[in-house]
Amino acid sequence: MENKKEALIAESNVMRLKVGENFHDHLIESIYEDAEKIASRAIVKKGKTSTFNLERNIDKIVTSRWFGLPLMFLILAVVFWLTIEGANVPSGMLASLFLDTIHPWLKGLAASIGMVWWLDGLLIDGAYLAMAWVISVMLPPMAIFFPMFTLLEDLGYLPRVAFNMDNLFKRAGAHGKQALTMSMGFGCNAAGVIAARIIDSPRERLIAIITNNFALCNGRWPTQIIIASIFIGSAVPAHLAGLVSAGAVVFIAVLGILFSLAVSWGLSKTVLKGEASTFSLELPPYRPPRILQTLYTSLIDRTIFVLWRAIVFAIPAGLVIWLVGNVTINDISLAEHFINFSNPLGLLLGLNGVILLAYIIAIPANEIVIPTILMLTVMSVGMTGVGEGAGVMFELDSISDTANILQSGGWTLLTGMNLMLFSLLHNPCSTTIYTIYKETGSWKWTIVSTILPVILGVIVCYFTAQVYLLVTG
Amino acid sequence: MSPLLGIIIGLIVTAVLVYLVYPQKGFLDKWSKGKRDKKKELIEDALKHIYDCEYKGIKCTVHSVGGNLSISNDDAANLLSNLEKMGLIISEPEFVKLSAGGKSYALKVIRVHRLWEKYLADHTSISEEKWHHYAEIKEHDLSPSEVDELAAKLGNPFYDPHGDPIPTADGEILDDNSIPLTSLASGEFAVITHIEDEPDAIYSQIVAINLHRGQQIQLAEKNEKRIKLIAEGDEYVLAPIIANNIAVTKIDEEEEIQSDFKTLSSLKQGEEGVIAGISKAVRGRQRRRLMDLGIVPGSKVTAELFSIGSDPVAYLVRGATVALRRNQTDQIFIKGD
Repeated sequence: MENKKEALIAESNVMRLKVGENFHDHLIESIYEDAEKIASRAIVKKGKTSTFNLERNIDKIVTSRWFGLPLMFLILAVVFWLTIEGANVPSGMLASLFLDTIHPWLKGLAASIGMVWWLDGLLIDGAYLAMAWVISVMLPPMAIFFPMFTLLEDLGYLPRVAFNMDNLFKRAGAHGKQALTMSMGFGCNAAGVIAARIIDSPRERLIAIITNNFALCNGRWPTQIIIASIFIGSAVPAHLAGLVSAGAVVFIAVLGILFSLAVSWGLSKTVLKGEASTFSLELPPYRPPRILQTLYTSLIDRTIFVLWRAIVFAIPAGLVIWLVGNVTINDISLAEHFINFSNPLGLLLGLNGVILLAYIIAIPANEIVIPTILMLTVMSVGMTGVGEGAGVMFELDSISDTANILQSGGWTLLTGMNLMLFSLLHNPCSTTIYTIYKETGSWKWTIVSTILPVILGVIVCYFTAQVYLLVTG
Repeated sequence: MSPLLGIIIGLIVTAVLVYLVYPQKGFLDKWSKGKRDKKKELIEDALKHIYDCEYKGIKCTVHSVGGNLSISNDDAANLLSNLEKMGLIISEPEFVKLSAGGKSYALKVIRVHRLWEKYLADHTSISEEKWHHYAEIKEHDLSPSEVDELAAKLGNPFYDPHGDPIPTADGEILDDNSIPLTSLASGEFAVITHIEDEPDAIYSQIVAINLHRGQQIQLAEKNEKRIKLIAEGDEYVLAPIIANNIAVTKIDEEEEIQSDFKTLSSLKQGEEGVIAGISKAVRGRQRRRLMDLGIVPGSKVTAELFSIGSDPVAYLVRGATVALRRNQTDQIFIKGD
């Protein structure tokens, strides 16, 4: 028996040598040859169809030297504008339902059954509120953005964008399709990371995943807008305020794109140099989009999927946020202990202890950073008459009230600027981190994509702070 | 603290941080390299060198070991006497040779080296001139089970990417039946079967002019000063010292020889060509990917769309539109008409 096995292996080795190393090439060639023979017998071609010519003409326009890029920017701008504008109303409705109606009702219910105060706080002010916040700010923009994006994809337009952008991304060592995962990242980084599946080349896919966080996601736009209008807008004459603060937000987003390209370049030249790279980009034919199917897949696969992960992470975060505000040592809450401890480091970076703590406990969702900052500021400054109490996140309707709270927390123009920078350059939210782990299956790359932006953020904030101090004296 | 001082301190800290973590040249990487088992490496490198001498029929001495491993003659003599005590080599009056145990050890190390080169060639984008360097490090730190796993993953290949046979786990090694390029007569056809990867200076020249294993060539002209070849439609002129590092096997003239071909990248918008083949320099996943897309000999391709910088270009292949980058289309040959 053993002998027979040995003999068989020896025989197979002789055969393998005879077949040679080009065996796989020959195999594929002969498969194509056979397929072509069969096809030529079975298929009758009647010249080129008119849809083919139409397609070629559309392709000529969307990839043309003059119209290609402007058309792309126009379409993406419309998508973002529709998302931001369209999400306002449903977000407000959800917020009034979850935060203004259900929350007090739950509090009343808890009081009527005589629930102990800490359990009521932990569950309703902590867990429930964090979850409700995440749903009301995350769901509407995603439910608008993802279907529109999927429609463009289904139509066949997105691969042409990748084709147009490939030259630029090639210079950064990346794949043209990274333009798409990045655009997706403007909606949600977790979705952007999942979208990197469309890149089949291992090295470029990793680059796209690691740098996706530099695309300013939906959860960070509101932070940018409110901080820009409070601090940047007020630093210039009133008639320019709107324009300048909008410009500042766009500047941060563009800075994110530049960081994304620069980091891609750096990664492809160093740590990822050796990873395999196989470029190809198919340009599928245009088709009428399947609207219902698109709606279904983008709502179920993307929106609900991402939202579910966010909720799973938001609930424990809500518990933690409430606990740090209410557990006290020597009559001072954990939050204040940490804020006092980290304040010197925060100030060195042009931020403060409140911001550092907020970014640590609000890892689950960028959306709850501002509510957490407001709560922590009110608590640590000891203000009365605003907010909902220790550990309870809140937001204010009026920007000037928000500005008052922040200014009494000692915020300056520098704090505002650096918060905007840090909001761009910090670790991805826990949903994204978990998604990166799922997609790469590697702790190493998950850690790199988590730590790298924080290091960059600390460096950029530190130098901004020092230069600001140098200039202002 | 004054801001100016802050900026200076910040710059210093950043520079130190970059120095610490920079891949390959940074402190952390150097430190982990420093932890390698130097003694084991020396022993294995010496055995490899002696095997190499015997393979080439040269007599191996203390001097040659010292020179090859960049250690002093005293150290080399010590090393050899240690090897003899371990029963790995046998000393003759004028030279040293491997014992049976030593030969089997040397072949194990060579097996790892060549398998790793094969792995780097097929599964990574590490450039050709670095394969040898990385394999020199890796050959010392794979366990036997890891080696077998690697071999299985690569499909138990017979040859490394330079064309050297890979010893089997039992220490068997295929005979080499190739001949030096310089022994071909003018007009003869051959396939490059082996490119010697040492010394670096010569190997990197061969890589730079893009001669590679599996390439079909025709010797056009031969004299003492230069050797002229035709391969993939291009002419190559080599100095004999470089040509000596290339081995070939002869093939019959009747076989289809790749000559007079243009590259896919030379097609202008709307022009059509027929694929003749993909250069052997495209390996592993990248090669398979191209073939999966229908880039196989005989396929008709039309250059359809040129992107803004004319790179990438979209081609119509077998009814599908596929965009390829210039560094790929430079490696794909077409029969022009």
